[in-house]
Amino acid sequence: MALNLTINTSNPPLGALLAAEHVKSSVQVSVEEGKDTRLQVSDAIQFNDTNSISRYLARVAPALGLYGANMMEQTEVDHWLEFSARRLCGQPGLAVALGELDKALSLRTFLVGHAITLADLSVWAALKGHGEWPSQGKSFSHVSRWFYFLSSQVPFSAVGNKYAVKKAPMSKSNQDV
Amino acid sequence: MALRELSSLEKFLGLKKPNKYSTQGDKKVPVLQNNNGPPLVGLVTIACHLVKEAKRPELLGDSAESRAVVQQWLEHRVTKLDGCTKEDIKTILKDLNLYLQDKVYLAGNQFTLADTFMYYGIHPLIVDLAIQEKEQYMNVTRWFDHIQHYPGIRHHLPPVAVLRNRIYTGRHH
Repeated sequence: MALNLTINTSNPPLGALLAAEHVKSSVQVSVEEGKDTRLQVSDAIQFNDTNSISRYLARVAPALGLYGANMMEQTEVDHWLEFSARRLCGQPGLAVALGELDKALSLRTFLVGHAITLADLSVWAALKGHGEWPSQGKSFSHVSRWFYFLSSQVPFSAVGNKYAVKKAPMSKSNQDV
Repeated sequence: MALRELSSLEKFLGLKKPNKYSTQGDKKVPVLQNNNGPPLVGLVTIACHLVKEAKRPELLGDSAESRAVVQQWLEHRVTKLDGCTKEDIKTILKDLNLYLQDKVYLAGNQFTLADTFMYYGIHPLIVDLAIQEKEQYMNVTRWFDHIQHYPGIRHHLPPVAVLRNRIYTGRHH
């Protein structure tokens, strides 16, 4: 079963791309550039929302544990997916949301359990795409540590370098480096 | 203690046949008698040898800088941590806590032999901490919990219960 992920190049869905990158050893996913983001599963079924795409990809590759190891962790993953979609995507009050995230990460290396899950992918992607995040990093040391740790790991660095550049018009002043 | 650590390291590295070790002197310094060469003496020396034998050189650091950091923590382990007094414990934990504030592993973003041996060495200190103290040394606790759940590391040691959320949130660090 081959899946086809089409991405909107002017607003690349980083979370979905990261999920695709993680599952590509167990599921065949092709990535194409286009106008709208969608995951074509069959003739009748497609998903458009980045979190729905990530969820589907995590579920077709259960051995990777991207959706957590038990029901408790699965619920935690759901919590963070909603958190990233509602609190981190262009909403006002980023500092409050970052404060909560910082508290949650103080005793954890990964957001849920002891390994990478969709929670990490989705929250990382939301921060990566957020214009205000890097400048706020100093006040939230635990979020910073977690963010730059993930950024250094292979699928994150690859996806970050390949797709983040295309968002350049949003923050022109930072691009002259 | 040191001999059990070396045998745990052998298992973690996936070395097929276990080595036989002897000890030297009052401090029970481990000795490995090599088939073709002089005997290897000392925990860190033998550990580095095993890592090379298993062809996992990245565990000693993948850049000049991280190799130096790994050696620094291995030395810290045998000189400061082993045989530290009750008064030293607080200073050791405080310094390590500060160091780990912005790091996931001792050598930054990469798991190395330093994490393994600092974990083995600090285990007896962490076992004795109260919940409130574990939270006081929050960064040490987080790192410790991550390493004890790292695949294949916690062989001979009992797991330590670690809370995953803070309960004494009034404190600032």
